[in-house]
Amino acid sequence: MVLEVRDMRTVNIVIVGVGGQGLITIGRILGNAAVLRNIGVLVSEVHGLAQRGGSVIVHARIGDPHSPLVPLGGAHALLGLELAETIRYLPYVNKNTLLIVNRRFIRPSVPKARMPPVEDTINKLRGKGLKVIDINAFDLASRAGSPVAENIVMLGGLVATNILEGMLSLDDFREAIKNTFPPRWHEVNLRALQYGYNAVKEKLSDK
Amino acid sequence: MAKPVLEKEGKTVFLLGNEAIARGAIEGGIGFASAYPGTPSTEIIETLAAVAREVGFYVEWSTNEKVALEAAYGAAMSGVRSITAMKHVGVNVAADPLMSSAYTGVKGGFVIVSADDPGMWSSQNEQDNRYYGLHAFIPVFEAYNPNEAKETVRMLFEFSERFEHPVIFRSTTRLSHSRGPVKLGKIPERKTRGTFEKKPDRWTLIPAYSRKLRRKLVEKWENIRRELEEWPFNKFYDYGSKYTIIASGLAYGYVMDALEELNLREKVNILKINTPVPLPHGVVLKALERSEKILVVEELEPIVETEVKKLAFEKGVDLEIHGKDLVPQVGELDLNRVIKAVASFMNIDYKPPEPVTNIDVEIPPRPPTFCPGCPHRATFYILKKAANKLRLKPVYSGDIGCYSLGVLPPFEEQDIIVEMGGSIGVANGLAHTIDQPLIAIIGDSTFFHAGIPGLINAVYNNAPMLVLVLDNRITAMTGHQPHPGTGLRATGEKTIMIDPEKIARAVGVEYTKTVDPYNVDEAQKVLEEALKYVVERKKPALVVMKRACSLLIYREALRRGIENPYYRVIEDKCTACGVCYDFFGCPSIIPKPDGKAYIDPVTCTGCGVCAKVCPFNAIVPGKPASEEWNKLWF
Repeated sequence: MVLEVRDMRTVNIVIVGVGGQGLITIGRILGNAAVLRNIGVLVSEVHGLAQRGGSVIVHARIGDPHSPLVPLGGAHALLGLELAETIRYLPYVNKNTLLIVNRRFIRPSVPKARMPPVEDTINKLRGKGLKVIDINAFDLASRAGSPVAENIVMLGGLVATNILEGMLSLDDFREAIKNTFPPRWHEVNLRALQYGYNAVKEKLSDK
Repeated sequence: MAKPVLEKEGKTVFLLGNEAIARGAIEGGIGFASAYPGTPSTEIIETLAAVAREVGFYVEWSTNEKVALEAAYGAAMSGVRSITAMKHVGVNVAADPLMSSAYTGVKGGFVIVSADDPGMWSSQNEQDNRYYGLHAFIPVFEAYNPNEAKETVRMLFEFSERFEHPVIFRSTTRLSHSRGPVKLGKIPERKTRGTFEKKPDRWTLIPAYSRKLRRKLVEKWENIRRELEEWPFNKFYDYGSKYTIIASGLAYGYVMDALEELNLREKVNILKINTPVPLPHGVVLKALERSEKILVVEELEPIVETEVKKLAFEKGVDLEIHGKDLVPQVGELDLNRVIKAVASFMNIDYKPPEPVTNIDVEIPPRPPTFCPGCPHRATFYILKKAANKLRLKPVYSGDIGCYSLGVLPPFEEQDIIVEMGGSIGVANGLAHTIDQPLIAIIGDSTFFHAGIPGLINAVYNNAPMLVLVLDNRITAMTGHQPHPGTGLRATGEKTIMIDPEKIARAVGVEYTKTVDPYNVDEAQKVLEEALKYVVERKKPALVVMKRACSLLIYREALRRGIENPYYRVIEDKCTACGVCYDFFGCPSIIPKPDGKAYIDPVTCTGCGVCAKVCPFNAIVPGKPASEEWNKLWF
């Protein structure tokens, strides 16, 4: 093995949403941050046909993983960029999983598809006893300068929780963003990261 | 910012498995690379193409996998190290030269990457290409993470050269499309020019020479097997247990994590195998002799398991060997499946964390779909209208590409999808056996790949069919690679643009036309005319539906900061009938709570086809296309 094997638990994160929302980019930044800190990481994604507006899941395992996939019921955190996909991938979640979700549905273009109401859906998740933190990443990204940075807002939200505590800090992610994007995209994305971070910190201090 | 794949020796970078394979090829000193794109293999050659000029080697997208393999094989005959990469089913297309390459061998190191797709994430089947190694007498190597993949591929060029023999590196979706840390090694000098030595008894497979080469091949195979005893990524971890788990390739990672989960780390022996074909006997025997019970964990077919059982039988080792009785043969492996298999093998109770399910929220399915402005959506819509108008019920013989999605509602205009080029190929048979009119639907890249011989056959044997070439000017589904019709090569050079309509003319198709599917009325007229021609004259006809992939143009516009045009809905005219969002199905058209349509100005590409679809003329241009936008289309 090349990497120094650390004796720490592996943190399992599933990132779910719709093809085109930038899920793969979240995985790349997580990985780049882990590599900067010399922490083991594997991220698994699916390319090709599944990307055309389809349902997407990215598995990220940080710590000392040997294999790339999060087991069912094994996610420590679920980052849901879209609510229908959050529901679809609930089998990865157990009662201790932290869900950070975007308050948004994207309608699939299948005949007669209708989406349930946002508030009701989030309440039903909470009704199951799940720990749910909901933010409006689309609006925050628009305020940060580009709705496309919705994914980075969500990443900022993940960083604000204690999921990666002792492993990766906000500064590590700032650096990873600079390593991942060309310079002209740094400002918007750093701002998006911060907005997501602040929004979730605020929610956490409310409780 | 340097490209991660070209970072300096000693640095650890976070790479996609396919990028790691590409870096391995660069560190292995390749001078030549060729491929036809196919998920999950595409990014290997894409990565190489992006750095070819900087590093100094040759890269091409070939017309299909057979040509790609032949080209790399040819380069290796001249002593230049070469790599070719393809998806598992691509190897079927390339199987002819693959088999021969083992007979002749090579001079320069020759690595064939087969990227298999267990779970069929983007494929028509989940064949296990380790069988090709057994079939062709070509050794097969695997790896369990991106770092090991890089190292393995680097070492394979030297290995191949030493035995003057081709080698297969077998990846899978979960290796090719997983990212992990990769420690980079040295980028060496490379040889890009070789010499061809005439030696008919080696390079010409006429029966007299082949018979001799066949005998040599079987001998060589056993030499290779012996050499693999020393392969550094095969390893026996002996913890003094009576239980041994043999894990092939990626399965090793799952086994390690499963043992961790079950608190069994270092309590069970592990034989890690990265060379399933030919399986080295010495290391396996050592493991067999130390054990009373064996579990073989491998994805898909029982290839290692079969060889282990055979070896145990031959050597008279009496022990219990498990494999596919505990590890699923269908679908990809994952941690849940491997934990279950290991727990059952070890006779222990394991209760996984209970997933949260049965939530009372109904969500619709989300299959992949045509993008906003996709010219295929326009084509399927127009084709349906044309067939309806002529009261025809055609059989739609489909093919592999984004347009395969036409199988789904609302279009349902792909009745058969079997393999690359199969649309025209299969129609050649149906044309002589059924009465319905036949429409073979094939993409531009697929037409060049394997459509042309079928088209020639249709002319030669007079098989009446309408061939529709859905020419979106790119190989779209695999992520926008150029092909012979685009006028561009892999490394960006301009080249001759080959026109499918001219090919059809040249091979004797008498009715040919090219039309723009955004031009709805004219395109419908042409399709009606062409269908009538096929039905009445009982001859093949070909129509090219030519319009660039809207996703490609949209992304290019984003990159250059060019604003997209869009259409809008006139509220008062919209009757909430739902035709545009339910039956045309453009993702940019969204129903509002009152059922009226709304067009998302951010994702709309302004194709205007929905304006033709709306029965109430409620959709009109919102923002016109700028000159820069129009210039992006080609």
